[in-house]
Order: sequence, then structure tokens, then C-alpha cells
Amino acid sequence: MNEKNTLIQPIVSTKTLIKSTLVASIIALIVFVVFILPAEYNIDPTHIGHKLGLTVLAHHEDEPKPRADTVTSPDQRQQVIEVMVPPGKGIEYKFQMAQYEKMTYEWMTDGEPLYFDLHGEPQGDTTGYFESYAIATLSSMKGSFTSPFSGSHGWYWKNLSEQPVSIQLIVKGQYQVIGLKQ
Amino acid sequence: MSQNSSRSASMMFGIILMGVSFDLLAHGVAENTRVFLEQNTGTQFIPFIYIGAKHMFTGYDHLLFLVGVIFFLYRSRDVLLYISMFTIGHSITLLWGVLGDIQVNPYLIDAIIGFSVIYKGFDNLGGFKRLFNSQPSTKAAVLIFGLFHGFGLATKLQEFELDSDGLVANMIAFNIGVELGQFMALAFIVIAINFWRKSPSFQRFSIATNTLLMSAGLMLVCLQLTGYYLS
Repeated sequence: MNEKNTLIQPIVSTKTLIKSTLVASIIALIVFVVFILPAEYNIDPTHIGHKLGLTVLAHHEDEPKPRADTVTSPDQRQQVIEVMVPPGKGIEYKFQMAQYEKMTYEWMTDGEPLYFDLHGEPQGDTTGYFESYAIATLSSMKGSFTSPFSGSHGWYWKNLSEQPVSIQLIVKGQYQVIGLKQ
Repeated sequence: MSQNSSRSASMMFGIILMGVSFDLLAHGVAENTRVFLEQNTGTQFIPFIYIGAKHMFTGYDHLLFLVGVIFFLYRSRDVLLYISMFTIGHSITLLWGVLGDIQVNPYLIDAIIGFSVIYKGFDNLGGFKRLFNSQPSTKAAVLIFGLFHGFGLATKLQEFELDSDGLVANMIAFNIGVELGQFMALAFIVIAINFWRKSPSFQRFSIATNTLLMSAGLMLVCLQLTGYYLS
């Protein structure tokens, strides 16, 4: 080491070193928890960030990152869902929708026609009642519907062929994805 | 007189530490720069120099580390030597990272950059000599941390899917800009520290300054690790 360097650079006592490290940590943690977390990430355990108005800074950064599977905003972008129906089996793909919420949809198989039933089941119903909106055997369909009641709405597809059939479902509207039911 | 000059020197030092623009927090590139980068095609030599220079000049994570590095270097030759080590280090990984398309998590790399600030503050307090009776080579440390800072610079450029057309020229321009920005920032820092070093307050506050350096480094680490866990 350069001797002149070591001359000017002090070696502090162990006590001072510990004190410095502690002070550095405490200052950093306080500033981090009270100011940085609320302003950068809208995390505000002390509620001081909110009182100071710092959480406003983080808000606009949070919004453009919707979670693809749980969005309910009215003008959400369309969502593309791929499902596969095994040979000889039927599957259901459902969405949770409130009453009078709308969905626009389009689906197509890889060419093979499938028997399907587009239907809704009312919330909390235990009798097994459901209302069908469309029943047919097709390889693609396009349309929209408004849910007549709140509950789960979606498709039942049955594959009568001996090959697995894949479906591409494109949906847009007001819903929460429930997903696949075998 | 000497008290006056020491006050203005420490004020200048404070302005350099505090005055850096906070809208560029850690790995931000300002919005208009972002628009430019995403629309850019082909070689844009001067604009990329500007972006590199601006990133370094306003990148307080890099600057805090440099403050730590030159804090106890009072000879120009040493300053030049250590800054060259840092420059070699970050240039290697900037070029390698972008050209080799090496994907490192920007949060983790920025957390390591934050750690480099803690390390240097601790080193300046003589912490390693005190605890382990030996100080790791300061030259090796500045080179190794320089490598990490370079990966950090690379992630900034990689955030934008840059057009492969003119990529090499643009990246070299960015690197030149980084060195220019570093040179300009260092000019201020070196003058301020040299000025300050002449006054007795320098020795008195050297412990406090390096404690604050550790503290700032720790804040950066916490900030980046939180970003990592939330992303």
C-alpha cells in the first residue's frame, strides 16, 4: 500500500467503527421505510409517507401493470387464452361476471369442430341450474353477451374425436378469469 | 478566510451530492430519452454520447462510489490511476454485456452497485484494517466494482430493445459519453474535495462523511432489492 495514503487515511477505533456502522444503518433504514418505500413503491408501513403526500409519486407507476388474470377494469385489453381438449373428454373454461357485465369473444379450434355449450351459472346456486346462451357443434364462433345474472359464465367444449383439439379463445370485456374446470 | 472557503467547499460538495436529479432514480432514463431510444434507428453518434454523459453525470450511485474512491486520494496521479481502473472495469462489462446480450437483472446489479458504496465507505473508515488487520487491495476493489458498474450501464441500454443496425457505433458512443460525463462530474468532485481537504473540517468530518456514504449505499441496496422482490 502507498504509505502516504495510509498516513492520511485514519483507521478508526473499533468503537467508532461500530458506532458509524450502526448510525449508517439506522439512518438508511429510517429514510428507506419512511420516505423511499412510500414514494417509490407505494408501501407505507408508518403511514407517514401518505401524510406527506409521497405515495402519490408511486401511484402512476403502479397502474400500467395490471395482472393479466384478475383484471376487471371496464376497458381492458383483449386476452388470448389457449386451452386443449383431450380426445373423448370435455372441459369447461369459466369467467366470473357480475350482472349486466359484457364480454366480446371469439374462439377457434385447430380445424376440428367441437360440441360446445356457452352458459352461465348463477352465484351461490346449489341446484345445478344453468342457462345456455348457445349450443352447437362448430370449429369457431364469434359473438358477445351480457350476463343476465352474476355468477360464472363460459364454455363447455366436448371433443368427440380421437385427437386432442386445441382452442384459441380471445375475450374482451368485464370479467375475472376463473379458468379451467375439468 | 479559511473557514469561509471550507464552508463554500462543503456546500459545493453538498450540492453535488444532493443536486443530482432525483427523477432519474437509480435505473431510470428520462422519458424523452426513452422515446428517442425506442424510435431510434441506425447510428446516432452524438445523441448516444449525450445520453451516456447525462446518465453518468446524474447517476448518483456511480458518483457516490467515485466520491468514496477518491476521498483519500490527494495526489492527481493516484486519482488518475484509480479512475482509469474504474473506467477499464466498467467499459469491459458495458461492451461485453450489450454485445454478448448478457441478461443480468437490473435490480440485482444496482443492488451490487449500492453495495460498492457501502464497501467503499467502510473501507475509508479503515474498517477492514480494524476488523481483519488487513485491507483488501483498493485497486483490485475499484476494478472489480467497476466491472459491476459496467453491467449496470449495460442494463440501461438493454432496457430498450435497440436496433441492431448501428448498435456497435451507438454503444461506443454511449461509452464515450459515460466517460465524458464521469470526467465532468469528477472535475467538480475532485476540486471540491481537494479544496475541502485543506481545511481542518475535512479530518473532523471524514468519519461522518463515510458513515453517510455507507448509509446512502444501504438505502440504494434496500431500494433495489425491494424492486427486485416486487418485480
